[in-house]
Amino acid sequence: MRAAFRTGAIAAVAAAALIMTGCSADGGSEGTADDPIELTYWAWAPKLDKVVDIWNDAHPEIQVTVNKQDGGDPAITKLLTAIKAGSGAPDLIQAEYQKIPTLVSSDALADLAGTSAADVSGEFPEGVWDSVTLGGDALYAIPQDTGPMMFYYRDDIFTQLGLTVPTTWDEYAETARALHTADPSKYLGTFSSNDAGWFAGLSQQAKAEWWSIDGDAWGVGIDEAPTQQVAEYWGGLVAEGVIDNKPMYTPEWNAALNDGTQAGWLGAVWGPGVLSGNAADTAGLWKAAPLPNWGTDVSNGNWGGSSTAVTSQSKNVDAAVEFATWLNTDPEAVQALVTETGIYPASTDAAASALTEAPEFFSNQPDFYDVAAEAAQAVAPFQYGPNVNVAFSAYNDEFAKAAEAKTVDAFLAAVAAMQTITVDDLESSGFTVAK
Amino acid sequence: MTITNQTRALVVPELVEASDDRGHRPVSDTRMPLAPGSTAVLLLGALYCLLPVAWVVIASTKDASELFSTFTFAPSTHLWDNIVELTNYRDGLYWRWMLNTALYAGFGAIVSTYVSALSGYALAKYTFPGKGVVFKVLLMGVLVPSVIVAIPQYLLLAQVGLTNTYWSVLLPQLISPYGIYLARIYAAAAVPTDIIESARTEGARELYIFHRIALPMMGPGLVTIFLFQFVAVWNNFMLPYIMLGNDELFPITVGLSGLLNQGASLPAMYTLVITGALLSIVPLIVLFLVLQRYWRVDLAAGAVKA
Amino acid sequence: MTATVEAPPATKRRRGPARRTLTPWMMLAPGIVLFTLFMAAPILYTLVLSFQKEVVRGLGLGSGAKSRTFAGLENYVATLTDPEFLASVGRVLVYGLILVPTMLGLALLFALLLDARRTGAKGFSRVSIFLPYAVPAVISSLLWGFLYLPAVSPFYWIFEQLGWDDVPSLLSPGLVIFAIANIGLWGGVGFNMIVMYTSLKAVPTEIYEAARIDGASEVQIAWRIKVPIIMPALIMTALFSMIATLQVFAEPMTLRPLTNSLSTTWSPLMYVYRDAFTRDDIYSAAATSVIIAVATFAVSFFFLRVVQRRAFGQED
Repeated sequence: MRAAFRTGAIAAVAAAALIMTGCSADGGSEGTADDPIELTYWAWAPKLDKVVDIWNDAHPEIQVTVNKQDGGDPAITKLLTAIKAGSGAPDLIQAEYQKIPTLVSSDALADLAGTSAADVSGEFPEGVWDSVTLGGDALYAIPQDTGPMMFYYRDDIFTQLGLTVPTTWDEYAETARALHTADPSKYLGTFSSNDAGWFAGLSQQAKAEWWSIDGDAWGVGIDEAPTQQVAEYWGGLVAEGVIDNKPMYTPEWNAALNDGTQAGWLGAVWGPGVLSGNAADTAGLWKAAPLPNWGTDVSNGNWGGSSTAVTSQSKNVDAAVEFATWLNTDPEAVQALVTETGIYPASTDAAASALTEAPEFFSNQPDFYDVAAEAAQAVAPFQYGPNVNVAFSAYNDEFAKAAEAKTVDAFLAAVAAMQTITVDDLESSGFTVAK
Repeated sequence: MTITNQTRALVVPELVEASDDRGHRPVSDTRMPLAPGSTAVLLLGALYCLLPVAWVVIASTKDASELFSTFTFAPSTHLWDNIVELTNYRDGLYWRWMLNTALYAGFGAIVSTYVSALSGYALAKYTFPGKGVVFKVLLMGVLVPSVIVAIPQYLLLAQVGLTNTYWSVLLPQLISPYGIYLARIYAAAAVPTDIIESARTEGARELYIFHRIALPMMGPGLVTIFLFQFVAVWNNFMLPYIMLGNDELFPITVGLSGLLNQGASLPAMYTLVITGALLSIVPLIVLFLVLQRYWRVDLAAGAVKA
Repeated sequence: MTATVEAPPATKRRRGPARRTLTPWMMLAPGIVLFTLFMAAPILYTLVLSFQKEVVRGLGLGSGAKSRTFAGLENYVATLTDPEFLASVGRVLVYGLILVPTMLGLALLFALLLDARRTGAKGFSRVSIFLPYAVPAVISSLLWGFLYLPAVSPFYWIFEQLGWDDVPSLLSPGLVIFAIANIGLWGGVGFNMIVMYTSLKAVPTEIYEAARIDGASEVQIAWRIKVPIIMPALIMTALFSMIATLQVFAEPMTLRPLTNSLSTTWSPLMYVYRDAFTRDDIYSAAATSVIIAVATFAVSFFFLRVVQRRAFGQED
């Protein structure tokens, strides 16, 4: 950076800078140790650079640089802006599954179907693989991690109050009532209008199909029985006052996790990281259980989880694929992902061998990853659409109003509004929408 | 951004050292007995403004659990631990952000002040066709919120491959319409036309006159412009947020905001953010106190009367 | 003002008029180039984008599924007929009505107290009240967020000790606008105070002495002499405070995840942000930006026309 400032007069600098137009990388596809292929990788998983270091040490001909991003949303926003601008995108990006259709419709991702990436399909559960192919012939990313939902609860409070761990949603409601009655300051959970991914996971468990591909048209099925059932259930608990109505991930929620006001949390398999970061002193007091179910059959939803995608601006797709495949399927890489970043790997075999010991925060529950594996097995299929961002921001606005109104009707109205906003947006953009 | 920095900077041509030694006041003024009522009101205002600052100071002494479990204004002993943890975060990235911010704000504000001085002096001291139009067009740029121009700025800079570089954050903030407006007022008020004329009579070149005669005379005013631009760049969030993908180029605001908004699967790093916020305010306070000395009351008077 | 300081008649110049005309343009060149590249061009580009839109065919998957077309006034109509946008404008007007008079009133009060002869603790108070100016809005909103949320707020802890159990949260729907205005007040009052105070200090004290001899009290002097004299500064601060309220963004944006009371389109600039970043529709965002900019110009020009004589009497 010092060298960059050597130039003096600012007008001259400005002019020079503008003349110095994008000297784009040449398309050389073979790297050598002396002249390596350089790849940039936008990702937000913590310490991912440590895992990438392993690759860089072993592959002098392909050097990968991680640019840490703020989180799933900002990274995708920036990528889409760079795609619009025609330059500035990285070679690789960590993309959450729900972002893939949006990225594909913006032509932001390279189709990997013809590359070696297609050979690793057998390593992943079918449902996960579907979300990176969108059920078609193309392949847009390699799965990295998944977020099967789980129910976390304060074992000490449950024991103290003589509560049993709920296995169905009816039992969950009973437990919530019992807890709140025994101690009116305490709640078994909160309905968070801020976390659309969380509500999508709960709907997924109820077998909702928010988007579907119907020939050459998109179907939108948010305002249908499964999601209505979920909304009605939570609206009822909030109306009754036995479940809190404030958002998660606020300082207030953190305080509640610390002092036991929130005695339960419907999270996902990555929950130990969040709990230990926000309420380190409660280590050993929590336990994990499968998500309560609707009583008909065992089913689960996903909250979070991401993949490694190659962008359409990458000049070195083959090298990028080679790296992405290694990162997500090589046993050493997956082991490092688990140790360094704390993710739950999507690759079935690699996960089984990497996940042997419970996270430190859950040292009181040695079978933590058995529960997690069970939760991962039960995940129902779910299709995301090209305007997830619109539907999710509609969720924020509509369910914020509903959570504040605290009535079942308001919750059902919010589901209806989400449907309308999502369909209107698809139609006004020109997508074909099935009626 | 209720008071956006742009518009904050818009208001005052005459921000000056506000010391109380107003020369032409009778000495007896300062020896009057104090009025407890008005002093109390003023102190109440000071208390209101210091309360959140006091909160940051105390909160930055707590560890992650204490932050959410102990009484808000009960200090703890972890300030040093927090600073160490912040320093260790990704190998001292925070301090890199601090340096970046100093670079963006410091270098950017110096160049911006010089450009403003040059333009303001030209507008104040020369008569030429088109002057009125240039001035009005420049002034209109003041009213456009930075959130709005950031996206097109990104798209245009992307055309020349400059996004995600230091330049992408520096260059757009070198132009400050309000700085030019202020510089014009200062040049008009502080640089007497007679002196320029006599220098010309002695054969001095125009740029020599500007650099050796006008610039020193405009000094205190330029300090004010520098300070405004410095704070504006320091506090700017949207432009670097959009322009930068590599967090080694981030300024403090974008970096800290990233530690807060990590996404659902990671906890927000509140203690790091709070400690980082505290440390980031310190250099600004020092800058204020240092630069205060250079502000002059008489300049303000000149500007108003000019 | 310029008339009094401009260069003397051309007859006195030693160099040719052409040369003298070229010099100011050379001096203006860096400013004009930077302005053109980084302000004028982006603004024009925004205008161009605002008349376009992106259309998709069929499923919209695969390359080339999206294309850009001319949209005419479609984006403008969509924004201006969207109840969400109109509601955000309404909220911001109420917000301005709360914030601007409070902020300017307090700033004037503090400035007059700083200028009053018998007030103590001036240096300390002046620096303290000005300090929040140095705190970025993103950070100040986080700080206040902690002070607002009942579970972590010291105020609610005190209320609890006093046995007041049902104090509503400042972030509840009816009160959140005051919570945001308070952050704006905190960040802005010191700055406006300094503006007014420096204007007061520029006034020769002889004026007050005459009034004192006539037996006027300090309050009368403040109200009848000082306030009218610094009216230009008051008008300037009022104008820029109004513009700033139209542009309120960082405070509600930072507080939004903490509460159910703030929508993603709470203020007009949040509406722009949502379109541009959440919905990836920069075309609508561009149109809304243009509407906001035009409204800002209109408000400024209308306000200045009304008060022009007083605020800009000395300007050309």
